[in-house]
Amino acid sequence: MKSYFDKTHTWGRIWTVAALIIFLMMPVAFSIHLNAWPKAEYFFKGLASVAIIFYPTGIIEVISYAPLLGAAGTYLSFVTGNIANLKLPCTMSALETSGYSVSSEEGEVISTIAVAVSSIVTTVIIAVGVLLMSVTGFVERLTSPSSPIYPAFQQILPCLFGAIGATYFYKHWKISIAPFVVVIIVLAFSGGTQVGVLIPVSVVVALIATHVMYKKGVFDKEQQRLENG
Amino acid sequence: MDFKSSPFMYAVGGIIVIFVLVQSIFFLVRAVRRGKELGISSEKMKNTALQSALFSIAPALSIVATVIVLSGALGVVLPWIRLTVIGAIQYETSSAQSALNAMGNSAGIASAVTDPEQFTTVAWVMTVGSVMPLVILPFVLKKLQKRIGKALGKNKVWADVMSAAAFIGIIIAFVGRAILGTGDNEANIIGDGAGVLSITGLIGSVAFMLLFSYIIKKVPKLQKLESFAMPLSMFLGMGMVLLVNYLLPAAYIIEWRY
Repeated sequence: MKSYFDKTHTWGRIWTVAALIIFLMMPVAFSIHLNAWPKAEYFFKGLASVAIIFYPTGIIEVISYAPLLGAAGTYLSFVTGNIANLKLPCTMSALETSGYSVSSEEGEVISTIAVAVSSIVTTVIIAVGVLLMSVTGFVERLTSPSSPIYPAFQQILPCLFGAIGATYFYKHWKISIAPFVVVIIVLAFSGGTQVGVLIPVSVVVALIATHVMYKKGVFDKEQQRLENG
Repeated sequence: MDFKSSPFMYAVGGIIVIFVLVQSIFFLVRAVRRGKELGISSEKMKNTALQSALFSIAPALSIVATVIVLSGALGVVLPWIRLTVIGAIQYETSSAQSALNAMGNSAGIASAVTDPEQFTTVAWVMTVGSVMPLVILPFVLKKLQKRIGKALGKNKVWADVMSAAAFIGIIIAFVGRAILGTGDNEANIIGDGAGVLSITGLIGSVAFMLLFSYIIKKVPKLQKLESFAMPLSMFLGMGMVLLVNYLLPAAYIIEWRY
């Protein structure tokens, strides 16, 4: 009999291909409805300048996020998007609170629940927001630069990652030092470096430094604790 | 009626939203069933769902804000669809801008698109530009995870510290930008670069989270509230930003990287 993991991949593939077809039908439907097809020249020219960045980043994202989101979590996350600012934080906090590792089957279940719920909530909020916006302009007033709480919305990311990072930094301060120093140096020289570039740099530095520390015996206490049960 | 917001457009958006919801519910139900088989308590699963929902509210509202930004040029429906599927704020804005510039529309998303051909070109570029991960996922994910699983399976401590390292790497990229990242120079927006407000949000949420962890550790009765601690710390961090923004004289709200 197929394992839960194998079945997850089968379903994940089916849903991903279905999603791909439906998304590609969107511009087709618009073009048919409006009887307006893009000129190949403009389409390729417009696409080229974004594809040169987005296609390699897309591949890097799959490789760097997949190990952290679990199998079903990855299939779902890449369909609904907003991974770095939504799906990853939800998964991280869910795993941290539940105490499971993402590589265990329990972790796979927890990460799937986290990503699925986040996708549902986000999709519903955006849809309701769009409706409210078309009818009343409410959300626009709430989040526009003239809104009194606008400054808080501008700082969502520091607040989000501060809340998640706190326990990670506290528990794993040794692991945090190397990537922190490297990221700060990169930003000191090039403050405009976007998160999409910083993430791979920071993750690779963290992994290498942690592996070296492991080899040097920095985590021997943890190892002993595990061996002694 | 504006062709960008006709009932037909809304219907297409509706179909895509329903697809995303059905897919999410499908995987959610499977995971909950499997969780029960594995003996994960339903309270734990409920808490995971609740925590995830609470975490998603504020970022989701900021996505709605992006829809608003793009809707001036593209109407509501196209940005809504693009940010519901695969989309991410930075991708969608640059795709739309690039497509419009390719057609010689130098104003880009700063002004309303009135030509249906320009509109569909933008829709095509935004869609085809973003589908790469979906094209490669069916081929690579299983192999990728098997390989990772094998590597992780060898040694428990190594696996734990390496996965913590990967998470920390991601978190630090965002923390770093809050400390030293510059904002969008061209747009000249106040508050998007590192400064007093970003540091307030960062330190505020870290401090609240550490405080909550300490209290929960000391008072075991409060264990149940653990799943609220992180989202609550985020909201309180946002509250601190507002407090500082309104209480501190404007001259002190410095942005050192703008």
